[in-house]
Amino acid sequence: MRRQRASFLAIALTIFLGVALFGASYDAYRNLDSSYKRSFVEYRFANLTVTGGKLRRLAREARAAPGVAAVQERTQADLPLHVGRDEFLGRVVGLPAGRQPAVDQVEVESGAYLRPSQPDGVLVEKHMADAFDLELGDTVTAVGAGGPLKLRIVGVASSPEYFWPARSRQDILPAPKDFGVLFASEGLARRLAGARGPNQAAIYYAGGDEDAALTAKLSRAATGLGAGEVLTRADQPSNSALQQDVKSFRELAVLFPLLFLTAAALATGVLMRRLVTAQRPTIGMLRACGRSRGEVVAHYLTFGVVAGLAGGVLGAAAGIGLAGAATDAYTNELSIPITLTSISPLTALAGVLFGLFTGALAAALPAFAAARVPPAEAMRRFAPRGAGRLSLAERLLPPLRRLPVRWRMTIRGVGRNPRRSLSTILGVVLALTLILVSWGMIDTTQILVDRQYNEIDRQDAELYFRGALDRAEMRRLRRTPGVAEAEAGVDLPVALRADGRSYQTALKGFDRGTTMHGFRAEGGGTTELPAAGLLAGEALGSKLGVGVGDEIEVSAPGTGASARARLDGFLEEPLGTYVYAPLGPIRRLAGPRLGLGNVAYVRYAPGVDREAMRRRLSALPGVVAFGDSNALLDTVNEYLGLFYAFVGIMLLFGAAMAFALLYNSIQANLAERAVEVATLRAAGIRFRSLSRMITAENVIVTAVGIVPGLIVGVEVSRLFLASFGSDAFSFDLQIRASTLVLSAVAILVVSLLSELPGLRAVKRLDIAEVVRERAA
Amino acid sequence: MEPDRASEPVVVLRGVRKTYGEGAVAVHALRGVELEILPEEFVVLLGPSGSGKTTLLNLIGGIEPASEGEIVVGGSDVTELDEEGRTRFRRETVGFVFQFFNLIPTLTALENVELVAELGGGAERAPEMLERVGLGDRMDHFPAQLSGGEQQRVAVARALAGGPRVLLGDEPTGALDLETGRRVLGLLHELSHELGQTVLLVTHNAAIARMADRVLRMRDGRIVGDERNEAPLAAERLEW
Repeated sequence: MRRQRASFLAIALTIFLGVALFGASYDAYRNLDSSYKRSFVEYRFANLTVTGGKLRRLAREARAAPGVAAVQERTQADLPLHVGRDEFLGRVVGLPAGRQPAVDQVEVESGAYLRPSQPDGVLVEKHMADAFDLELGDTVTAVGAGGPLKLRIVGVASSPEYFWPARSRQDILPAPKDFGVLFASEGLARRLAGARGPNQAAIYYAGGDEDAALTAKLSRAATGLGAGEVLTRADQPSNSALQQDVKSFRELAVLFPLLFLTAAALATGVLMRRLVTAQRPTIGMLRACGRSRGEVVAHYLTFGVVAGLAGGVLGAAAGIGLAGAATDAYTNELSIPITLTSISPLTALAGVLFGLFTGALAAALPAFAAARVPPAEAMRRFAPRGAGRLSLAERLLPPLRRLPVRWRMTIRGVGRNPRRSLSTILGVVLALTLILVSWGMIDTTQILVDRQYNEIDRQDAELYFRGALDRAEMRRLRRTPGVAEAEAGVDLPVALRADGRSYQTALKGFDRGTTMHGFRAEGGGTTELPAAGLLAGEALGSKLGVGVGDEIEVSAPGTGASARARLDGFLEEPLGTYVYAPLGPIRRLAGPRLGLGNVAYVRYAPGVDREAMRRRLSALPGVVAFGDSNALLDTVNEYLGLFYAFVGIMLLFGAAMAFALLYNSIQANLAERAVEVATLRAAGIRFRSLSRMITAENVIVTAVGIVPGLIVGVEVSRLFLASFGSDAFSFDLQIRASTLVLSAVAILVVSLLSELPGLRAVKRLDIAEVVRERAA
Repeated sequence: MEPDRASEPVVVLRGVRKTYGEGAVAVHALRGVELEILPEEFVVLLGPSGSGKTTLLNLIGGIEPASEGEIVVGGSDVTELDEEGRTRFRRETVGFVFQFFNLIPTLTALENVELVAELGGGAERAPEMLERVGLGDRMDHFPAQLSGGEQQRVAVARALAGGPRVLLGDEPTGALDLETGRRVLGLLHELSHELGQTVLLVTHNAAIARMADRVLRMRDGRIVGDERNEAPLAAERLEW
């Protein structure tokens, strides 16, 4: 092991990386899962939330149902909120004053909980407080049923419903200043909503555990009582988004460690086979002197076991530290109030065993092969490896036989040790897979974000109006300085039903010739709004079990409006699963109460000051909320920062793994040919010529692995990303051609770098010593 | 062909020393060697294991540098050469034949010779060299398909491919049986006498010395004997 120090370290390092990644990912997943579950119990996060319908009766029935621990009725309303000059569509959630609700409790992080003596006091949700720098005593204006009302902040709170501040499943990533939540006393909430009673019931099961049967029973009851929306905990927007992250850690705990440990096994196998081959005469001598097969096996197994243990133990320790750090970083970034980190002896033990198993298994095969060789044969000199035939390339392409001898030697060197060359090729495939899975995530995210915010959403801003939009407002809007184009539209929460299934989403209405939205058809290409039917996000097909041509019932909760429409096509949209319809039929269906629409889409003239436009447009009469597409894009890119950092680390790991594997292969190659190399140096061949031959051989083997590596890498990347897809996010792999090229170049560069130590050794080769050893 | 004793020596050593290590662990492999070898001489350097004979061969061949002294081979002062210079020297001035042949296993016999012949711009000489060593009909065979003697003959052809001034052999028959060894030695003798090739062989096998024109004996890093063999024995009559 001392003599093979560098190779031993390379193998131990690869095992270390694999085990560390496993421990970090799996324990981060465990920690986050525990943190969320504790939060759900601590704050009695609803298992089921019902909106609309006969809530009092539903609440009675739910309380009586076995397995239900608590039911809380409340009022929730989406209202225009004004903070300073900022106006946006926010949310007010009703809580009992003076005591926490029975379900969906809040954590008061500063200030105090709502008191009956503070009728205008509100708690501001933490993300909104951070976005607007709100402090205790600041005021926020809510534009409710009775007009604007100034509210005073008495506390900052966090809630499991808004750990991730999503407005809805379709609006997972609102810009920080485009959405915010206030918790008001139930009475204040009803006043703002203009409601006579609660419009939501939050139901919490005993122990907080999920109960599919109970959920099904209560959902049926709620639907039967006219509920507009029945949301399970799994579908709750914030929870749904966060569970995707938890799932990603779990997936990472399998995929990446598997890649690393397989690479380590390959490297160990290459090294062990070389050692066994080089030491055959010694093995033969020991066996001839009476050493048993078991002793020979144990000798060579020791190398693999020690490398595996070293990498496994250190990797398990590093995994513990990394898991804690990853969990802390994640929960801090998202302001999750409860962070549970624990050291799992089982995870650590599993990591150590993975490392041990990898090293031992990889060493076992060559070790058993060594023990099986008869002593006499082992001590006899054997025919050199890879001898006696032309290369496959020369047999397939006879003109190659006319190349200079050095080139023929290089080409034949590739196939001289097929097992080692295959290991190197597999290593290249593994490294490229890791690189492309990581880089594929970056490309996909960047392309899909660009597609969503440039191709699909073409507006610069969305304006929400109080009441229906009329022609005068549209004229005023179009004449506003800085506005290049403006269109009226519709944005309505709807419930879709078909074949006994339902789905909550938003209906978006545009003029048929709209320039504010691009409709990207399934499979690429563009399409346009049909005359009378619907277009829908492709996930709707599986959610409702519908296809093109089927009829869907569309109802708007709270309005009583309902209609049937034909599904005319599916759309490829990265974010959300919306339905789209032409404005004409929607207007005809809704009547005068809708006017021209309830939202206006605006495109700015080039070069305008976006902040000035925000102020100007928000100040227009009738505008109650403003959404800036650019701010939204900035938010998305900010959230992606942590993600890019993580992917960057994965890329480095991939490069390290490729280096370790290629280094081992090259070392084995050069060690096997030390005498040849010494002979060629003795014959007067320059080091430069030799290094070119060695490099060419190395590059050829690496290059052979690149094409299958790219193919496998793209496919694994596709499968990996698809596992994160949902109706909220569509993660179809989008990979740039330049990424494939750069990945291939990166592997070649790593290959060249990994041979430097070996070439240095060739340059310093003591020809006399090598020849002397051989003679001895 | 008799060595030309009247011409300049092709190998000259003056006060050559080689020491490995330092201080208490220093090993003095050569302790002041003085030597001249004339062109076309067939010289056998004889000595027990550890006498310094292989070290002397390596120094003459430019494989390793001397610690002290002067070594001039074919007009080149090897001791003044840097690594690049020694590489060129090995390419142009000497040829090596090793005990275990050291052929490239992935190249045919012809390709093994061409690889070295190319260095001197004479790849086209390779078939001729192989013909000369009696392997004209085995050129396209790989080392694994050749016997030990045939492999060593390829090694000899390879060593000659660059047109060296001196052919250096380190136990060239050490891995061969008696019959094969005789054939290889016979070939080397033939090259020396018919082509005028200067040959220096290192061996611990005293029997081989009987075929040499000149026998140098080494012990403890010094040349302790230098004898002319007035009646060298033919290789096929050697016994060991």
